[in-house]
Amino acid sequence: MEATLTGKMDNTVAGVANYDVLVIGAGIAGEESALKLADMGFRVLLIEKEPSIGGKMILLSKVFPTLDCAACITTPKVSETARHPNITLLTMTEADSIVKEADNRFSVVLKKKPRYVVENDCTGCQECETVCPMVVKDQYQFDLVARKAIYIPFNIANPRVALIDIENCTLCGACEQKCPSNCIDFTQKEEQINVTVKSVVVATGFKLFDPISIDRYGYGKYKNVITSMQMERELAPTRPFNHILRPSDGKIPEKIAYIFCTGSRDHTVGNPICSQVCCMYSTKQAQLLMGALPMADISLYYINIRAFGKGFNEFYLQAKDMGASYVKGKIASVSEKENGNLLLRYEDVATGKVTESEHDLVVLSVGLLANPAITKVFKNATLEMDALKYIKQTNLLQSPALTSIKGVFVAGTATAPMDIPDTIMSAGAAAAETSGYLNQWS
Amino acid sequence: MTKKRIGVYVCHCGGNISDYVDIEKVKEAVKDEANVYLLKNTLFACADSSQKEMVADIQAGELDAIVVASCSPKLHVPTFRGVAERAGMNPYNYVQVNIREQGSWAHSDNHIGATEKAILLVKAGIARASESEALTSSKIPAANVVAVIGAGVGGMRSAIALADMGSEVYLIEKEKNAGGHVANYGPLFTTDITGYELAANLLAEVKKRANIKLFTNAELVEKKGSIGNFDIQVKTDRETLPLHVGAFVINTGFDSYKPAPGEYGYGEAANVMTLPEFKKLIDNSSDKLIFNGKTIKKIAYIYCVGSRQDDEGDNKYCSRFCCTAAIHSSIQASKKFKNITNLHFNRGIRTYGKQELLYEESSKNGDIYLQFSLKSIPEISQKGGKTFVKVKDILTAGKEVETEADLVVLVTGMVPRENDLLVKQLKIPVGRDHFFNEIHMKLRPVETVIDGVLIAGTCQSPKNILETMNSSMAAAAKINSVLTKGEITLEPTLAKLNPALCTWCGKCAEMCPFDAIVQTEYDGRIVAKINEANCKGCGMCTPVCPTDAIDLAGFTNAQIEGMIDALAEN
Repeated sequence: MEATLTGKMDNTVAGVANYDVLVIGAGIAGEESALKLADMGFRVLLIEKEPSIGGKMILLSKVFPTLDCAACITTPKVSETARHPNITLLTMTEADSIVKEADNRFSVVLKKKPRYVVENDCTGCQECETVCPMVVKDQYQFDLVARKAIYIPFNIANPRVALIDIENCTLCGACEQKCPSNCIDFTQKEEQINVTVKSVVVATGFKLFDPISIDRYGYGKYKNVITSMQMERELAPTRPFNHILRPSDGKIPEKIAYIFCTGSRDHTVGNPICSQVCCMYSTKQAQLLMGALPMADISLYYINIRAFGKGFNEFYLQAKDMGASYVKGKIASVSEKENGNLLLRYEDVATGKVTESEHDLVVLSVGLLANPAITKVFKNATLEMDALKYIKQTNLLQSPALTSIKGVFVAGTATAPMDIPDTIMSAGAAAAETSGYLNQWS
Repeated sequence: MTKKRIGVYVCHCGGNISDYVDIEKVKEAVKDEANVYLLKNTLFACADSSQKEMVADIQAGELDAIVVASCSPKLHVPTFRGVAERAGMNPYNYVQVNIREQGSWAHSDNHIGATEKAILLVKAGIARASESEALTSSKIPAANVVAVIGAGVGGMRSAIALADMGSEVYLIEKEKNAGGHVANYGPLFTTDITGYELAANLLAEVKKRANIKLFTNAELVEKKGSIGNFDIQVKTDRETLPLHVGAFVINTGFDSYKPAPGEYGYGEAANVMTLPEFKKLIDNSSDKLIFNGKTIKKIAYIYCVGSRQDDEGDNKYCSRFCCTAAIHSSIQASKKFKNITNLHFNRGIRTYGKQELLYEESSKNGDIYLQFSLKSIPEISQKGGKTFVKVKDILTAGKEVETEADLVVLVTGMVPRENDLLVKQLKIPVGRDHFFNEIHMKLRPVETVIDGVLIAGTCQSPKNILETMNSSMAAAAKINSVLTKGEITLEPTLAKLNPALCTWCGKCAEMCPFDAIVQTEYDGRIVAKINEANCKGCGMCTPVCPTDAIDLAGFTNAQIEGMIDALAEN
């Protein structure tokens, strides 16, 4: 068993669970559930498959409608999670199997992937990155720029520790020679960790829709068609270019279009529902772009504006007042001109006419999808899904955190698309439900 | 001035500060200030790696105090106090300087001015740190008892969750019965159960639990004390009870918007009714939908009544639940009765998330959607005993459409409830929209700036039942995680009284909003005494004291004077 696990768990009594709760996923939902339970005195094992905790929120620029910097408000929560005496945190770790032995006893097999860097010894100095000869696409900048094969995921990662992307590593050893703290270890292997827990909180979040499947929008074919997550990175404090640039030629865009409902409310891609956040994050990006590029025209092509939450409608009206142009019309197709500009063809509902408009950058407001892989991990009980493959809430209005397995609870966007405050509240509800459940045996 | 070793950190906040404030100029300007031992800039002071670096700096440099020039103390005081504690430094020897909200963000149009202001603020912070003193917080016992105000479905759910987590609960409802609005609802959207069933189920769960005491016809009439130890009086129709509670969860719900007389013909024509009235009509009708003796075939729904109002109305917000509620009712009507035509006069349908499926279902039923804007709202007219609705439909390029309707349903939104007494007693912050305000909209949606007063459900903003349940349980989890420890840490930033200087004039006691100052005897004289459990460190007493007998720890006269000197220097 891993050294990192000792100290915070109870191995003393045979047959007693090591932890009170296993929380799967350390995005904001998992963090919130883990923190609340840990504050109540429960021993929490929090696992995250990525090398850093913080989920999607830590990668965002600012948040709507407060325009708080996402990094600024999420880092306190991230470091509180990482430091809490009742939380044991394992990154690069996934649940491989969960077997229910009793209502308050689950046997869990975890698989922890090797970093090839000794986590406790790495100081995050990034010297290794300077000597690594391999350059690959940076997934945390959504492929806008490159990173090395040995890398720290992003500046505010937690833990801020390097890892080696072994598939792209040539084993040249340059990092090993350069590392001042001698923490590179190519002999690391995937570890298996067995634990027993009394309960499980599933906080596995959502997947972003990949617009490559919508051929008529040209994503992946036309360089100046990007996703909203790529724009989010261009606007973030830890942005790749320090300016808003379009990919084909590095020109500062002057006429930007947003295509709403990309991958949402669309039966042809198998996702008939509304993703609940795209209208507002696009509106936020429009406001940020008008600040960064005062001369640029921003057009937002929409079906309906879902500005429903606290302060949302006011925020939407503010974007309009700032000069954002909201056009009601579904985009039929995007085509590329020789200069890299894009022609959008759509029915303008206001006039009832089929219209074309030219833009030099197109942003696809991509939707949220269910991330149901976790259901396969439960071996002798079924974690049911709803028709859209979200985790099924078996008593939706009375106890929204309950699932089809007694002792397994669900939090955040694992249940449905939702924004940050709704996620925090859903995660709080999961913590309350879990705590009440665990108290039966105490 | 006291001799100290101070570490100063100037944060870029990614670019939130450094895009406007010249960080190097700030460093250059403050490097020679007295007591500055170490001076660094940092991309994100709050990042874990930066915090680790600070801990190492404090230990290696044996620092007496640190100054972090970054964002609002509302965000990061606990973060950097934690850094100090981990480094073995007294956390009250850390000073936060806000050069973001008060600097870069406020003056984004004036980079030079923003930089100059940041320099002065940092100098003042250094001056304050130079006079800072180590303080020790004390702990007092806290009651794991929660008063939940409002026994609608949200309040009942908060109470059940709290009880299951081990808290004692007083559930206080001002009406005769628990259940709130939902107890009057029939079928609910995205579920199979009815409102009556949901409210009854929850009430049964409440009654099952010995550690929940439900008071109906009851109101909170008095409150004293602070988190962990509130003494309250609850008045019922029979008696007034003194209770001791550690915290409050406010779950007082909403009121339905009542249309103004004549708004879309409401109150003038009987067949113009609100959505709640229409829901009752559906529930009370069996196989035929009959109103005023007439079989209803064609129903016009007018959306956003009382929500998203123009400049003349108060309600600028979207009421969130009503699009889905109206569509759900139209589906119910089509299911229950024959040959119903539903006409939805809307301002853009907001069936967010999975609720989209209901919009789709209603469209498949053949419902007709017409869209209007605020500039041209539907006109209702009566001609020859018939009701007509006329609108310029955005969806058909502004074509004017007029249609007869048997019934006009005004899709009314939620409005904040009149709660003046409660707001005054608990000092609950109220927002511009008149709903209660949370401390932080994104990450702390159920807490308020008043410690021990939490808000849940629709008193915070319009919500559907699922969202109400999540917020009600989240508020329960939050407050239980605080009270379950059995003790509360008191801030040591309290008023300190030097009895030798006090001549008891009573001015301080008069000013104190928290009844924290009482009389005592000292050296044969009557002097003032601070009751530390009640003192909130607000500082109201210090300026009125004619003999300077009161000083506020953490904000001493010496510190404030030092800051003024630094700010006035230039």
